[in-house]
Amino acid sequence: MDRREFMQMTGAGLGAVALMGVRGCNSPQAVAPSDWVNVGVIGVGSRGQHMMSMLLRIPGVRITALSDVYEPRIAEGRKVTGEQTTAYSDYRKMLDAKDIDAVMVSTPLGLHAEHVSAALDSGRAVYGEKSMGRTLEDCNLIRDTAKRTGKIYQVGLQYTYAPWYQEAAQRIQAGKIGQVREIHSYWHRNNNWRRPVPAGSGPELERLLNWRLYRQWSGGLLAELGSHQITFANEIYGSTPESVMASGGVDFWKDGREIEDNVHAILRYPGGQTLQASYITTNRLDGAQERIFGTGGSVVLTHTEATYYKEPWYPNSAIPPEITIEHKLITGPTYSAEQPYHGKGDTPKKGSASDADLLALKEFIDCIRTHRKPVADENLGWNQAVTVALCNQALAEGRKITLKEFLEPAKS
Amino acid sequence: MAVEQIDQTGGRSVAVEKTHQRTHRAMGTGFTLYVDCADESQAQSCFQSVFEEIDRVETTFSRFRPASEISRINREAADGPMVTDPEVFQLLATAMEVSRKSCGVFDITVGRLTQAWGFHAGRPAIADAAVLAEAEAAVGWELVALDPAWRTVEFLRPGVEIDAGGIAKGHAVDCALEVLRTAGIHGLLDAGSSSIAASDDMFGNKWTVGIASPEDRTRELCRVRIGRRALSTSGTREQSFTHAGRVYSHLIDPTAHGQNRNNELEVLQATVLAPTSMLADALSTAMFLLGPERGGKALKEFPECAVLWVCRGSEGIRWLAEQWPNDGMA
Repeated sequence: MDRREFMQMTGAGLGAVALMGVRGCNSPQAVAPSDWVNVGVIGVGSRGQHMMSMLLRIPGVRITALSDVYEPRIAEGRKVTGEQTTAYSDYRKMLDAKDIDAVMVSTPLGLHAEHVSAALDSGRAVYGEKSMGRTLEDCNLIRDTAKRTGKIYQVGLQYTYAPWYQEAAQRIQAGKIGQVREIHSYWHRNNNWRRPVPAGSGPELERLLNWRLYRQWSGGLLAELGSHQITFANEIYGSTPESVMASGGVDFWKDGREIEDNVHAILRYPGGQTLQASYITTNRLDGAQERIFGTGGSVVLTHTEATYYKEPWYPNSAIPPEITIEHKLITGPTYSAEQPYHGKGDTPKKGSASDADLLALKEFIDCIRTHRKPVADENLGWNQAVTVALCNQALAEGRKITLKEFLEPAKS
Repeated sequence: MAVEQIDQTGGRSVAVEKTHQRTHRAMGTGFTLYVDCADESQAQSCFQSVFEEIDRVETTFSRFRPASEISRINREAADGPMVTDPEVFQLLATAMEVSRKSCGVFDITVGRLTQAWGFHAGRPAIADAAVLAEAEAAVGWELVALDPAWRTVEFLRPGVEIDAGGIAKGHAVDCALEVLRTAGIHGLLDAGSSSIAASDDMFGNKWTVGIASPEDRTRELCRVRIGRRALSTSGTREQSFTHAGRVYSHLIDPTAHGQNRNNELEVLQATVLAPTSMLADALSTAMFLLGPERGGKALKEFPECAVLWVCRGSEGIRWLAEQWPNDGMA
């Protein structure tokens, strides 16, 4: 029995009652001593530091340990925590420490399986950055370890907790934009995706700091950028894809990188629906967005909001009758069936005033305190990460691959 | 401000081949980065990392972005103490320190007044008396309670809002230069009028910064050697309007309640040298509002800082300096 289970049995509300005089639910003073969560961080790079800042905005959270193999990151991490946080160059020694309740893993993708499974095996709740794992074997190890240990594992798919994403999913599942047949997702940026390395650094350090560019640890643009969008498509279509074809290459940034600088994938789902995913590094006109096309309307999702569009009525269209009635027959000479629609959509304000990372981490901490299983658990993480691994396999082989043959190559 | 490279002997020279330069728009200003890099590829990586860091700071401190930490504080801190992260807390603590030591003229809650005077909307005009009274009730640095033991911030009155614009740009410069230092790159970052600083002493001494005349931006008053210090200038030239012969600036002294404090000497500009850009940014606003007489006294609280005022008096334009270092002029 761990400390939290004991507190639950003896009445965890006692501390809260004693501290009821403290105003504001955002005050750490209102958090019962038994509900304080000490977090150890494995991987203190830029993403890890950002997430540490978010953790420290949650009442009753301390960061008690840092672990990174690159020594300068420790000083940077201590700057984030504002104190001389205990540091370890070997994460295993950090996991031996007694003053850690939860672990955040924000290491290169190819190391997630080792770090997450070790942290779960040490008895800690784990927040693991996305994707869950780089390969099918990595994903299986994390999923199986989470199930075997029964410990909380939340994957860092933060938009799962973004209110505007949640509302979009609810509206879509309620049929508000008809049947979704097609999703286009873009993450278009215009930069070389490189980090500066200290002058005089050797190739090893360059590969460590720019790990996203090399196959050893990276899942490329699909994993680093596409994970959130693939998660949403899987949710909307209620399944992982049944087959994938993909194309891409190192075609512009020919600087020694191994990871493609442009990737385009077409994912086909069991109901015949499609996700077209495009990730490029040479133009940012479209930025990061998901365009969800239903027979009766569309939704455009970005990192800050959702915008809804009604599908104008047209003879012999796929618009469901109930949607036509609800939309009150938008038609007229201004609409041309084949011209792109440039009109304004409806962008609800509700929920957009939130940071998705903070919401996801609050949920993680709340799951620890209340012994709940996170929504973004090992199953959701496995579905997403295996989809990415399938896409990367299709990209590597340059052919259409089914999920079935990817999961069971011998039988296929 | 204008920057120019000098050679080791202090004489001016043309740009060195290895120096690369780019400007990035963020936080309502232009951030121009100068870096010494071996090649264009390394320079590009520097620009990307530094500008991403500036964007990160903007994302955290912008009051215009609903998901920023400042927006979250503005929404929730009147409900009771709320915890924030050490970076945000440290910036707020520095702002409070400058407020306390500057008799409250620097105030991160002054945004309501700036808004009442129409500066936020870009249409400055004489404020409506009723709107002004309502805004004044919610302005005051002492209405923001910080508790370092718990790292919490609380507004002691509803309606209080934080606008970190007068200090966050300086913080962005500090953070961005730290990115260069970590990578071992020499560079200098110029955040428009807000602040300018170098990654290291050597690089700072390689450059001189020209301080422009507040009356004629094309004319340099002097050149300053910044070394390892940060330099920031505050003045009325950017946003101000004149009504009934009086100049109204976007830099508002919340303690003056609409009155002119420096009647005999009109302060046109205040330039501050400080150990950090964050402090230089905030202190230049404070020194501009305090003027030479009160500012000179307040500066004793900041022994590592220096100030240079440009004022207009009955005898014409005057320069007044306080604690200005001997090596500060190029």
